[in-house]
Amino acid sequence: MAEFHKEDIARLMDGVLPWPAVQDMLKSPKDLDRFDKYLEIMAERVPWDDTILLPLTPQLMIVARKGERVVKCLCGQEYGDYRVNWKLSALVHVRDSQQALDEIYRGRDALDEAWVQLREYICPGCGSMLEVEAVPRGCPPDFEFLPDLDTFYREWLGRELPDKCEYEDRTLAVVAEWSSEGE
Amino acid sequence: MSEDKGLKLKEQLRVNDRELADTGHLFGLEKLERKESDPGTYEAVWHILSNLCNAAWSVGCKVSSSPIAAEGGDALWALHTPTGEAVCVSRGITAHPGLLADMIRNFIELDYEDYPGFHQGDIFENNDPHYGGIHAPDFDMAMPIFYGDELVAWTSCVSHVSDCGSVTPGSIGFLNPDCYSDGLCIAMEKVGEADKFYPWYDMRIKSRTRTPDWVLGDARGRLAGCITVREKLIEVIDKYGLDFFRDACKEYVEDSRRYAVGRVRTQAVPGRIRKSQFKDLAMKGKRVLLGKQDIDCLFNLPMELEIKADANVAISLRGASGTVPFGENISPTALKSGLLNGYSHIVGFDMFNSGPSASWEVETPPGGSWANPFEKDFSASSGVAWAPAVMWMSSLYEVFGRLYHMRGFIEEMAAGAATTMTAEFAGINQTGQYVAGLTLEQACNGSPARGFTDGENSAWCIYTPNADFGNAEIAELYYPVLYLGRNLEPDSAGYGRFRGGLGHTAVWMVHNTPSIEYQCGCAGIRSKTISNHGMYGAYPAVPDRPAYAHDTNVKELIAEQKPLVHERGDPEDQQITNNVKARELEDAAIAPFVTPEPLQDYDIIVHPVSGAQSMGDPLDRAPAAVEDDLNKGWVRAGVAERVHGVVAVSNGRWTVDEKATAEKRKTLRDERKGKAVPFRQWWDEERKRVEACENMDAAVIEMWRSSMELSPGYGDELRAFWRLPEDFIFELPAAGKEES
Repeated sequence: MAEFHKEDIARLMDGVLPWPAVQDMLKSPKDLDRFDKYLEIMAERVPWDDTILLPLTPQLMIVARKGERVVKCLCGQEYGDYRVNWKLSALVHVRDSQQALDEIYRGRDALDEAWVQLREYICPGCGSMLEVEAVPRGCPPDFEFLPDLDTFYREWLGRELPDKCEYEDRTLAVVAEWSSEGE
Repeated sequence: MSEDKGLKLKEQLRVNDRELADTGHLFGLEKLERKESDPGTYEAVWHILSNLCNAAWSVGCKVSSSPIAAEGGDALWALHTPTGEAVCVSRGITAHPGLLADMIRNFIELDYEDYPGFHQGDIFENNDPHYGGIHAPDFDMAMPIFYGDELVAWTSCVSHVSDCGSVTPGSIGFLNPDCYSDGLCIAMEKVGEADKFYPWYDMRIKSRTRTPDWVLGDARGRLAGCITVREKLIEVIDKYGLDFFRDACKEYVEDSRRYAVGRVRTQAVPGRIRKSQFKDLAMKGKRVLLGKQDIDCLFNLPMELEIKADANVAISLRGASGTVPFGENISPTALKSGLLNGYSHIVGFDMFNSGPSASWEVETPPGGSWANPFEKDFSASSGVAWAPAVMWMSSLYEVFGRLYHMRGFIEEMAAGAATTMTAEFAGINQTGQYVAGLTLEQACNGSPARGFTDGENSAWCIYTPNADFGNAEIAELYYPVLYLGRNLEPDSAGYGRFRGGLGHTAVWMVHNTPSIEYQCGCAGIRSKTISNHGMYGAYPAVPDRPAYAHDTNVKELIAEQKPLVHERGDPEDQQITNNVKARELEDAAIAPFVTPEPLQDYDIIVHPVSGAQSMGDPLDRAPAAVEDDLNKGWVRAGVAERVHGVVAVSNGRWTVDEKATAEKRKTLRDERKGKAVPFRQWWDEERKRVEACENMDAAVIEMWRSSMELSPGYGDELRAFWRLPEDFIFELPAAGKEES
């Protein structure tokens, strides 16, 4: 198995690793310690101390915090239980009028507001655009990934997490709570 | 008969299935003994077999006649086990090995071993989607290979013929209203023996296709390639022995399954991953064949993957919308084959064969959906079945890109794919020959953005690793058009930290024809809407918007040496609008379409081929990368500033103002927060608009109606999310119903 320096993995993440070195990574058998090195790099880059369990996206991490597993932005903004679609805790800018759509797709490329809306999910902390959805009205937000974290650590990485969490999607339960609060 | 215990092939299939179920290993191979005992020979023979398939591709394409195979290499040859599993394949259209394998299996399941029997030199074909084909222009061929008296393998081929005689001229019939209009049908037939086609095979092609010389030439190409495989394979078996060959072939397939499973386990994460995807087909008010086609359609193309604890993958299309009265419905067999194509790109590409598909549990798509049409709509057309499938498959790239990212394998990530818009011609060309076919422009898109850099421009194609748009001069030989331009298209990819590769635009002038039909075809495009590939905060690529001008003043412009049309130009300042006068001019046409009237000399077509999807917040794109794009003309100044927040000045060469850029980006980030609202606040209002179907096109409403009806569980989840009444269904208002 190949082994790569943490510095090179960091440069790869930043898009500055020279192409021959990237090719080497592409062509070599994969390094078995990549995940751990990746976690170390991310931990060094964030301004907080919670243990990163899984980088969900380049910007959002699932972290262990006081016995809970929550989604957290690099900037420190938290989004709650990782089993609830984090988008429910984000800011959203929805372009569903022709004028708002035209700011991005102009003239010849104009979209039709009756066919598609652009949902821009924004971090309340740092203003990063975390995801963009281009979907027709009525489409629930994509819950892109619900990890089976315990299986991942226990069976794939060969180490147990200190606590256990049921592997289930809790998004609809939150929505139901919202609904009952509004009634 | 198979080699094992004198079983018939059908019996052997049952044994194979049982062994996989019992052991989790293909053919029950818990050990790869040939690989372990003699890895050198194992590897060497793999490469020999692989080269043998590629030799068949070279021979077969050279023998073929249509530009699609001869110039574009749009074909593929494969070698299979006696029971059909693909062992190795050539370069070419890699969407097909899965269905070629299933076709051979079907010959066995249908007892063809008893009647008409399998013999050396027999030629079998299928192009009928009802029996597993993808669409009529893709002719699938298989020939059994005997060594002595024993059937030891199969060889197969697919080539995409230029015309299959469908009701609409051209290569792929998105406009076909039903399967009866899909063209010449070969339904699981024996079409020749002793290495020769039956005379009636030729006669049928001559009487039922528009370009019989090309179609027959392509048939001879398929046959030549298959014979090449057979003859060379017999030499390989002579050298390495039949026992080794038999064992090694099974091991190659199982080896590939293990590779795919191993890759998922070591580079992905278990869990559930979802990706919504949609695709439009807006035909209302356009030239169609039957009244029922005067509608706009929106496809729901949902993907759900469950990466299981054992690293097998469960795949679901729950929520897929209903069939459409166009040639855009696909059989589950063909869809699964397409999945193998995507998998070969992004998961299992060490030994490309049937192996990875044994690691899937593909849930049967909802009956009556575009992905499983025949259960409820037996006459559904599959003229260009790829169209929705390829847009669905595009999600696979992003999905696995996300999984690889989570494990830190940044170098393996990809964003979503580009689209596939075809240009098809039918009519008399400059030599007086009737032609019908498509150009190859669409076979060369931008490639998806990667986790560490931009995608490549005009160098990738989702349905073939053999991306090649062919030589302009060759296209001009076949079709009565002259290229006025063929250029990289600025801003044609999505906008993100890492940009998708750009697409290109072809500009044609119709030349030297009495008239020609032009079909801007859909082999997987979006024109009213865009992809849902806003990965990590990128904006998806622009919609597909071609242009044309009919009955023009271009002849006069040439005489007066005035500017013509060589590129698209700015979205709000287009060359075709500025430079050409025409009786009929569409400068942002909603694709696909057939022009209302045939085109004539000096008419203009502007055909953009899409770029690919991007990833990451566009405000995180390195200013130096934006500067580089500005200087190459790959991004327009407005996009650079408005979307990327890069302030640059030009004195003949663009230079980024770093300080102003930092300030601009800070302002844009603050503005985002100012414009956005907490999700719950939006949800509170939006669910009322959803329930009222406010500002939802009839196509959107009909899509949700059929998705929820065909997949009740999906419908329940949608209702629960928006807190809609339990009996809520999306319905068109009475007036809308009448209109649609």
